[in-house]
Amino acid sequence: MARISLRNVGKRYDDVVALAECNLEIADREFVVLVGPSGSGKTTLLRIIAGLEHMSAGDVWFDERRVNDVDVGDRDIAMVFQNYGLYPHMSVYDNMAFGLRRRKLAPADIDARVRRTAQLLDIAPLLARRPRQLSGGQRQRVALGRAIVRDPAVFLLDEPLSNLDAHLRVQMRAEILKVHRAVTATAVYVTHDQVEALTMGDRIVVMHQGRIQQVGTPAELYDNPVNRFVAGFIGTPAMGFIECSVERTGNEVALRAGDARVGLAPQRAQAVDRASTVVVGVRPERLSLVDDASAHADTLTVRGVVQVVEMLGSEQYVHVEVPAGMLTARVTRDRPVKPEEIVTLRAAARHLHLFDAATGAALTAPVRGEI
Amino acid sequence: MRASRIVQAIALGLALAWSLAPIYWMLATSFKNELEASALDPTLWPHAATLDNYRGLVGGTLPFPTFFVNTVVTCLATAAVAVAIALPAAYALSRARFRSRGAVAYGILVSRMLPLVVLLAPLYLLLLHAHLLDSNLGLVVGFTTFGLPFAVWMLKTFIDAVPIEIEESARVDGYPRWQILLRVVVPLILPGVLTTATFVFMDAWNNLIFPLSFMTTLEKQTLPAALVVSFTGQFKTDWGGMMAAATVTTLPLMVAFFAVQRSMVRGLTAGAVAGV
Amino acid sequence: MAAGRRPPGAEPWLDWMVLPTVGVLAVVVGYPVVYTLVLSAQHYNFLEPEPARFIGAANYAQLVADRIFWQALGNTAIYTFGSVLAAALLGLVLALLVETYASPRMRLVRALLLTPWAVPFVVTAFLFRYMYLQNGGVVNAVLLHAGIVRAPVAWLNNASLALPSVMVANVWTMTPFFFLLLSAALAGIPNEVIESARVDRARGMSMIVGIKLPFLRSALLVGSLLMVISNFNDFAKIWATTQGGPGYATTTLVVYVYRLAFENFQFGYASAMGVVWLLLLMGFAVAYLRALRLR
Repeated sequence: MARISLRNVGKRYDDVVALAECNLEIADREFVVLVGPSGSGKTTLLRIIAGLEHMSAGDVWFDERRVNDVDVGDRDIAMVFQNYGLYPHMSVYDNMAFGLRRRKLAPADIDARVRRTAQLLDIAPLLARRPRQLSGGQRQRVALGRAIVRDPAVFLLDEPLSNLDAHLRVQMRAEILKVHRAVTATAVYVTHDQVEALTMGDRIVVMHQGRIQQVGTPAELYDNPVNRFVAGFIGTPAMGFIECSVERTGNEVALRAGDARVGLAPQRAQAVDRASTVVVGVRPERLSLVDDASAHADTLTVRGVVQVVEMLGSEQYVHVEVPAGMLTARVTRDRPVKPEEIVTLRAAARHLHLFDAATGAALTAPVRGEI
Repeated sequence: MRASRIVQAIALGLALAWSLAPIYWMLATSFKNELEASALDPTLWPHAATLDNYRGLVGGTLPFPTFFVNTVVTCLATAAVAVAIALPAAYALSRARFRSRGAVAYGILVSRMLPLVVLLAPLYLLLLHAHLLDSNLGLVVGFTTFGLPFAVWMLKTFIDAVPIEIEESARVDGYPRWQILLRVVVPLILPGVLTTATFVFMDAWNNLIFPLSFMTTLEKQTLPAALVVSFTGQFKTDWGGMMAAATVTTLPLMVAFFAVQRSMVRGLTAGAVAGV
Repeated sequence: MAAGRRPPGAEPWLDWMVLPTVGVLAVVVGYPVVYTLVLSAQHYNFLEPEPARFIGAANYAQLVADRIFWQALGNTAIYTFGSVLAAALLGLVLALLVETYASPRMRLVRALLLTPWAVPFVVTAFLFRYMYLQNGGVVNAVLLHAGIVRAPVAWLNNASLALPSVMVANVWTMTPFFFLLLSAALAGIPNEVIESARVDRARGMSMIVGIKLPFLRSALLVGSLLMVISNFNDFAKIWATTQGGPGYATTTLVVYVYRLAFENFQFGYASAMGVVWLLLLMGFAVAYLRALRLR
């Protein structure tokens, strides 16, 4: 139970900048996910919150306490590592009790806590075993149990599910959330898997190259990505991008990519302002496969060559190379598509995301409307 | 392809013969009586086997049991002391980045490279002034000059192999470093600790130059030095007796060697194969 | 905004942990090394009643002019590099040989091949001395019976045979080290590499030289460095066999320094020689390591 506050946190290793200007407020009992590709700094940030690494700049606060100089063991945190970090020479019971013994609790007290947590995680029958006798999923639960039994103010989880097979991972996600609801502590969870982030987090922090790109609920990130990176990172399949040039004729502003041309509504035209090129992003589900290639008002109609078709049961993802970019359409399987085929894609203008060609920043959000 | 198999088998046989023949010779000679041992045309195996040579060790003019005890005591002490002092340093070098880390590591490397003879005169004078000449303690001090750097280096490679997450879990649990070392790391590298101790033990057992230089009283000598001294004295032409003494000197070392032989590989290769 | 520069709490434990080792080494190694440097610039004969006196670089001048020093240096080089080279080659051959046999019985064979290393150096020295005896030594006996020689050979008493003879004993002791090291390195070669080489129809020598040797390079180089350093220190093997004789035929630097210090008690001169030797060894190690890193 703690509020976490990161103020201008930075970290460098000699000449390499791992983190820069990270500001983040985490509310008490929130489940926050740090997500980003490898090298984005998410694990480094987590370790700084833990105290396993020291920041080069900035502060970390737990509630009203500045914890920069507070030792790892005194921060009232528990951590679950990617490789579990279980003590190989101790039984599951001892693994879980080890941290408690440090705090000088009565043995009966420790015993009660360990058993209660083991029950919660369904590992009671494993208490006498050694880690090497357990499966990956079981070790994961023990690692979780070891953290839970400490009853900390903050839970820190560093890609705990990365080493599990896909099926188990999905199962464990639900387990972790269930446990979080039961223990009422603040949790910070690191993953590189954006699907995991979207399904688990109250709020998500997208990181890239050591900086926080955007913080928000899954819906906020999905609907209003603040830059091209977030837009392309969140969402499956990924958003498609094409580069368009800006045409101004009188009061009208339009975007052009090869033969395709789409006019912009006045409020959006303002945001485009003085740019000469703009990057347009389209969510796959907003694209439909159409048969007539004629331009329609207020739509982006573009033709391209199909590169890959991914069949996914009831729907298919069609990856199309268009002039100045690549778009992916998520459509039903009613209309069969083959690679090398030339197809026409259409999306409503109000569903287009516009990004600055140079900085990647979002220029204007799509108009909210029908889902 | 059978031909090459046969050649390989012969080669292997030769290698085994080459490795074992001298040791056999030592053992065989130790059971020969004086006449047979110094015969001009040596016999392949003892025709008149006798235990006299071994009996002579216990009852003879030179106190071999005492030499044996001296050697065991000093070598065990060196192993224990070296490992105990080296463990924390090896842990620090393995786990932490601190400013003088490079200097310390380099210094230890240089210590390992040091020709012992360079230290001989000053160490002699140092021990002389500290009244430690001709004493087991002084000898242990001498042995530590090579035992300690070696132990640090070898223990470090074993500690390097322990996944850092295990220690970080303990840190998160609030355990101070020294307790993490003792309660988490050491139990996990126990075979490595024993291997290191054995290596130090063996190195000390093998050392001749320090006992020869620092011990003046014969009764306090170690086995290797005693062998050298006794050769000019008791065993002038008694090769049987000499070989018996040699066997006794060899046995503990061989036992220790084979006890840790398997674990030895990891300690050697972890450092060697991956780089210094 | 305050920035945490030094990780607090992280540093103190390091000082404590390194302190015992650094402290001990400073006393038993650091101080003697410094003392050696001081001694090397003094005329200090332990037996003479007059105290040590400073003579600057005179010891070093004497050293350069000392014919025996150069002979000892040469002997050391031959002894060290010759033995290490031979032992490494033999160890390599053995490792490759044993590797082809996959049966579990090989564990015993391996253990047996390691035994020479387990024999104390002093014992090896006396053992070979016994075997090399001109009259009564088993080596001569075997050679005579096989008709290879007509008269008993004075292995250790012949100035040109003595050093090689001692080297043979040294190689006998050292080979198991390389055998063990290279066997482990060979076992560490990923199976996929071997298998894809086989798919490419590599066999026999081309497999060994092209595929396996590169993996062994690192182990070979580091192992050789370790053994060179170790051999530079070899005292027991030579002293117990020949005491450096006949004449100075097997006198290496170690032996020479020992005799200067403990038979002639010339501590000053002996120290100077030790310093030169230390510089040589360090120079070698630095050059070697640099060559290692460059490639």
